Amino acid sequence: MSFPPSPRARSGPRRRSLLAAAPAALLVAGCSAGPGDSGAGGGSRPSAADRARARAARDSGELAARYDAVVAAHPKLAERLRPLRAEVVRHAEAFGGTADSSPSPSASASASGTPGSGKAGPSASPAAVPAKPKDALAELAAAEREIADRRMKALLDAPGELARLLASVAAAGAAHVYLLTEA
Amino acid sequence: MTVSEAREAKDRELRALQAALAAEHAAVYGYGVVGGRIGKDRRPEARTAYDAHRARRDALVRAVKDVGGEPVAAAAGYALPFQVPDAAAAVRLAAELEDRVAGVYGDLVRAGTGERRREAADAMREAAVRSVRWSSRSVAFPGLAERGGPASGSPAPTT
Repeated sequence: MSFPPSPRARSGPRRRSLLAAAPAALLVAGCSAGPGDSGAGGGSRPSAADRARARAARDSGELAARYDAVVAAHPKLAERLRPLRAEVVRHAEAFGGTADSSPSPSASASASGTPGSGKAGPSASPAAVPAKPKDALAELAAAEREIADRRMKALLDAPGELARLLASVAAAGAAHVYLLTEA
Repeated sequence: MTVSEAREAKDRELRALQAALAAEHAAVYGYGVVGGRIGKDRRPEARTAYDAHRARRDALVRAVKDVGGEPVAAAAGYALPFQVPDAAAAVRLAAELEDRVAGVYGDLVRAGTGERRREAADAMREAAVRSVRWSSRSVAFPGLAERGGPASGSPAPTT
């Protein structure tokens, strides 16, 4: 059984948020040797599994922010989206992330349009959420699908237990796509 | 990896394959029950799921043989987790079957590598989607009993 097709998510917001995060990350790397096992030669390097886990946590955190942005633009969708967003937050936590456990539309809205990140296009503002609720749901579904697909790839190289978790969360994401588009 | 570690990994994979096969046998049986009780409107969906599980079952039989095992056979009958007197119970059973299948595929993802792991993850994803189609309830961690599994599902949107 295959999933219904839906438009691919734009890559814009991701690139922007990475740019926005970069200065802080550099600061941390420059000022401290990092916790624990900083080995010889260029400081500690996280393992591939650590990086996969961090990436997965970040994806879930950004996804939760997208849910917030949609709810901020379409309050009538709040009740429908609440349980799905709560699961996305649990995913972030399972990967070691710390997504907000309570929706904070204003914070996430301003975060996604951070000034000073350079070439943010016109879609940088929270107004990027489609005006029609149906379109907003379709875009959320596309984001869920994109992230689930990435997890399906990441799990191939992950250690067993992390691979199992990635598979489960990817499966949950696919179920979200169904609920956002079909149900 | 030493020789004995490699053999151990192989054994783990074979056990996970056999467990998945046993679960697919049970799912095929279970969907037979579902098909007999389900409402007419959802019968095509049950049929599609039945066919999907048969295909997975057959693929697992081949996979077990590929790694030198003797595929477990289906039982003559299976104890249903609850009585299935009507269409509503049939829908609940279908969701339950999918949840169980998702769990064994999760174990196969952990034990397997490469293409086998990818296929197990695919099967897990399909089971989770079918489960939510039946139950209309989403769960945070399909197939992971230790994280609350399917039982602690949050109600999913209906509007």
